[in-house]
Amino acid sequence: MSDLDDFKATYFDECSELLLELEEQFAAIEDGDRSSNRLNAVFRAIHSIKGGGGAFGFSGLVGFAHAYETLLDHVRDGRVELSEAVTALCIRANDIVADYVAAARDGTELAEGYGAEEKHQFDALTSGDPDLGSESMEEFDIDFVPVMVTIAGAEDELAAEPFDLAVLDDSFEAPPLSPETGHWTIRFTPHSELYARANDPLLLLRELATLGDVEVNARVDEVPALADFEPFGVYCAWEITLRSETATEATIAEVFEFVEGNCDLSIERGLVPSAEDMLDRTMEETAPSPAELIETAEVAPGAEAAPVLSFAELAESMKPALKAAAPVMPAPLKPSATASEEPEGDNDRRSGPEDRRNGVQSIRVDLDKIDRVVNMVGELVITQSMLTQQMDETLRARYQELVRGLEVLAQTTRGLQDSVMSIRAQPVKTVFSRMPRLVRELTAKTGKKIRLETIGENTEIDKTIIEQLSDPLTHMIRNSADHGIESPEKRVAAGKAEGGVIRLSAEQAGGNILIAVEDDGGGINRERVLQVARERGVVGPEQQLSDEQIDQLIFAPGFSTAAEVSDISGRGVGMDVVLSNIKKIGGSVHVKSWTGKGTRMTLRLPLTLAVLDVMLVKVAGSPYVIPLSSIVETIQCARANFSRMPTGAQVLQVRGEYVQVVDLATRFAMGTEIERDNRFVVLCEAEGGVKVALIVDDIIGQQQVVIKSLEENFQSIEGIAGGTILGDGNVALIVDVQGLKSQALNHKSAA
Amino acid sequence: MRVLTVDDSRTILAMLHHTLSNAGFEVLQAEDGQQGLDVLKNESVDVVITDINMPVMDGIEFIRNVRASGMHNSLPILILTTETSQDKRDQGRAAGGTGWIVKPFDPDKLISVIHRVVH
Repeated sequence: MSDLDDFKATYFDECSELLLELEEQFAAIEDGDRSSNRLNAVFRAIHSIKGGGGAFGFSGLVGFAHAYETLLDHVRDGRVELSEAVTALCIRANDIVADYVAAARDGTELAEGYGAEEKHQFDALTSGDPDLGSESMEEFDIDFVPVMVTIAGAEDELAAEPFDLAVLDDSFEAPPLSPETGHWTIRFTPHSELYARANDPLLLLRELATLGDVEVNARVDEVPALADFEPFGVYCAWEITLRSETATEATIAEVFEFVEGNCDLSIERGLVPSAEDMLDRTMEETAPSPAELIETAEVAPGAEAAPVLSFAELAESMKPALKAAAPVMPAPLKPSATASEEPEGDNDRRSGPEDRRNGVQSIRVDLDKIDRVVNMVGELVITQSMLTQQMDETLRARYQELVRGLEVLAQTTRGLQDSVMSIRAQPVKTVFSRMPRLVRELTAKTGKKIRLETIGENTEIDKTIIEQLSDPLTHMIRNSADHGIESPEKRVAAGKAEGGVIRLSAEQAGGNILIAVEDDGGGINRERVLQVARERGVVGPEQQLSDEQIDQLIFAPGFSTAAEVSDISGRGVGMDVVLSNIKKIGGSVHVKSWTGKGTRMTLRLPLTLAVLDVMLVKVAGSPYVIPLSSIVETIQCARANFSRMPTGAQVLQVRGEYVQVVDLATRFAMGTEIERDNRFVVLCEAEGGVKVALIVDDIIGQQQVVIKSLEENFQSIEGIAGGTILGDGNVALIVDVQGLKSQALNHKSAA
Repeated sequence: MRVLTVDDSRTILAMLHHTLSNAGFEVLQAEDGQQGLDVLKNESVDVVITDINMPVMDGIEFIRNVRASGMHNSLPILILTTETSQDKRDQGRAAGGTGWIVKPFDPDKLISVIHRVVH
């Protein structure tokens, strides 16, 4: 059964993709694009969901999808107009299909008659149509008999009766078992179309032979002299006597099922000797045996039946024929000669790179396999950087070739890493495409007018990160629609356009992807936020916060400012969930608000979860790493300009800016013996442009590390984002700049 | 024996692959008619099984193109489709289809149908 489970898994995977595709297509259709491409794509998606569902016997799903598909078929060929009402019905139907798929996947039951109302509407829209009325439902019954997909050990009895269905159908007219009725006479004259469709009389005759004893007589009287012979001409016919206790007209007809209309066929009960039959028998001496004829039919039907002529006649007729046919014959014969072989030579060369470029060349690979490669490449990167570290000046001077080799290795490793990462990358479109629908729903629910703009949807980012993005983005857009965009009246009163805009954008910035949700609403009401924060004890009564700090409060756990809790943004859970979700995938959230003008929330996400560029530093004798993306500059302490705030807190003065200082040795409660002046300041920029100056004992260098989760292997520690194993086998902890910054702020605020 | 399977549904491709490879066939895959044509340009196969409803190039067009190429006159092509309606089947045959298989297919029946059109 595991095969069946595998197929099901594939099917449900495919369904998710198809459902997503449906969303995309309908978003475009709603925007007025009703091209046949879109309608065909929608039809195909539902058709595929139905088809697979049929294979697994999901009858509820199949029944609904069938009715929906019928409607879509009517829509795509114009029999039903795609009005707004029909579009709305389709969008609802997509949800129902999704529910059916989910229920089938989870093995749960949907309520009796779920989707029945929509189904009735489909039927009402498509009824009165002679084409797809009762007839199609009849076929549908036959079409979707659930079939068990056990294949490997299928019982042999089943295989022995390949046509049992047909036998059943005609059982009422099965002839009594008498020698008289056990005889059938079949006359079979192929037309040229039969050969054009690659049907082969030999196979038909062989299959007929499985029904009983056959006697096959070839009728070759139509075969012309070689001079008149056309390479693709059809000259042969057959008369078969079948002796079988079990054969019926239906089972015999089924053998010829595929060639119906491409041949003259008569099936008669009993022995029916004919005049031609008698003639055939007289010709048997000169004609090849039926068996020989059949064998030759395999190569070129009828073509080599020429031996009807005596050898002398043949030789005689060939003289003029060769002259006449010489320029003609080779051309038409060539394709037939090569047809069954690999086309070589010219043809192969023609189908070179150009064709490869045209076709989409892709394979599907298990994600686990890719992850293994990603991990190995990560380790390779580390080994490479370890080797580079080992090269001291003496070695460099002595082994220049080795040094050059290592440089090339470093480059290649980089390239390899980028390539591997790009395998895992997907365009953010996959999650962006779900948002137009959300905005439509929100527009309907809030009565506000909102337009969604998306920018940079082809920006690529790690698949795992994409999968984690859907919820946060949904929350953020809901928040913008609910709290950001004002009602049309308010907007007009404020001198803005009646309709609001939410802009969803993605861009790559260095080693990060920035995803922003912007609205042109009223901005964050800071007074109200601060008031609520004080009421809930999130902020102490005496604590003074900057505007920016107030804005960030909307991400505080359990915080909600909507005067009335709406069913859109949820009940006070939401923005804090966004923050924790994004932190989980190594990202950060920043909000910026302009009163009366709007709000922008930015997610800063790593390009990949696997490898991090870091600066390796030493604090109290232990190695630590600081993400390179957050480092602004490094300064020797001796040259740094420290001063003290009236509160006693130490600050660093950099280009007229005062920056909070965190001594990592003190922060991690470890003593250091290095003199202050010999230590270093690493100036980091945390989210939102807030800087923090970290003091470390020494700066060792720059490298790449593979992140290992601290939570999974030990436990979460404040100020530490994770761990990593260095080239020499030592463990280094990754400094969480963002975390240290917020602690620094808290200390300052509390002071 | 080599089979080219052409279907835009991964589920169907997977099931065909399983059934056919268990029966000892070597299976090639394509996700639409155009990809199918590309495969046929570079590979030789003994039989083709194709879906009708596909993006880019549907099954009817695919069959028509295979036959029009003149290189595959004796290549059996089986139409695999849920649509048992006579007109689709006729269109497929008129385009040059050799026979058909009704989805969902019974594995044994699938193999027996293949043996009906290929040696």
